[in-house]
Amino acid sequence: MNKLTIYIDDKQFQAEPGKSILEVCREHDIEILTMCHLKGVNDVGACRLCLVEIEGMSKLLSACTTKITANMVIHTKTERIKKYQRITTELFFAERNHVCAVCVANGTCELQDLGYKVGMDHIRYPFLFPKCEVDTSHPWYVMDQNRCIMCTRCVRVCNEVEGAHNWDVKNRGYQVRIISDFDTPWGESITCTSCGKCLQACPTGALWPKAIVQGQMKKNPEIIDELMERRKMIL
Amino acid sequence: MKSGSSLLDAELHKTDPRVKLIAAKLKKENFKPDALIEVLHTAQNVYGHLPLNVLAYISKALSLPPSRVYSTVTFYHFFSLKSKGEHTCLVCTGTACYVKGAQVILNEIESKIGLRPGQVSADNQLGIQVARCIGACGLAPAVVLDDEVQGKVTLGEIINKIIDKMAAK
Repeated sequence: MNKLTIYIDDKQFQAEPGKSILEVCREHDIEILTMCHLKGVNDVGACRLCLVEIEGMSKLLSACTTKITANMVIHTKTERIKKYQRITTELFFAERNHVCAVCVANGTCELQDLGYKVGMDHIRYPFLFPKCEVDTSHPWYVMDQNRCIMCTRCVRVCNEVEGAHNWDVKNRGYQVRIISDFDTPWGESITCTSCGKCLQACPTGALWPKAIVQGQMKKNPEIIDELMERRKMIL
Repeated sequence: MKSGSSLLDAELHKTDPRVKLIAAKLKKENFKPDALIEVLHTAQNVYGHLPLNVLAYISKALSLPPSRVYSTVTFYHFFSLKSKGEHTCLVCTGTACYVKGAQVILNEIESKIGLRPGQVSADNQLGIQVARCIGACGLAPAVVLDDEVQGKVTLGEIINKIIDKMAAK
């Protein structure tokens, strides 16, 4: 297969066609911030953190859903991108009620890491303080909407990896929420297999096992991709 | 999880003519999952809204996960999970109608009938809705009573028509 030549941050790379900008960047250790991307499931371009600048295009495009083309000139670290990364991060925090001090994922949270990474010292936007539900009806797991950033990683893992499709998204705009079945309690779900993959996929502390307390959450989101690789071997 | 969730096992009465209409539509669409929106349209037309047991029936028939059906229903404003009332009164609040007194009409409805936009009367006879421009600006102020556009309405006339609708059943 003919490789394509692309330029990322003034360096030349050879990459196979059909790959996304994000895939190529990850291969060459070029850092791109992501939240909704999870290796092993399809990309949806929901979080807007992986935006990159492409020469000849006025709009910023998401690296995860944009495929490379020949002689593409990509910039990942411009001031413009840094500005938007900061805005996006602040909006994540302003949208729901994120309280790290009492969160199970404190220390292992991807949102928390992101805040440190973009150097967020304050938030310029008014907090929405939405009233969010905490679903504790499942015998083992808890879903806390307060900590959800609507990356839909749980939805995709449940659908694409487990095949159960217990999770989906209801409403639109700022009223979106993750739902189980007909917006019924998780514990009454007829589709959930209690496999716990959504807990591994969740970047924050929105999904967690009941047996743990503050800061004890252990996560292994890489397990999703490993599962998919093993499945290919079986087939 | 629970095997006998009452929501999904809700058997719809096979003899109900409304269920027959949905069943006919399902058959016409060959039970294809991508016909979900078309089937929901039919269901909303025959029921006036989308009750959960009907959604459960559709999700089973089209082999779609319940959450997928629910997510589609809540995404589109056209679909409603709650009853909009036997009769509907939709007041246009687009720019032209607003200038011509749409708010006065809504205030009059609230004081005479006691319903605000989005509310349904206790006996489920009447539901009041608002819309941002129905595209009949030349007829401002416009009100849609049971899918019938009433143009250049006057206050007394429209209230009487609404009361007649409620009484006629």
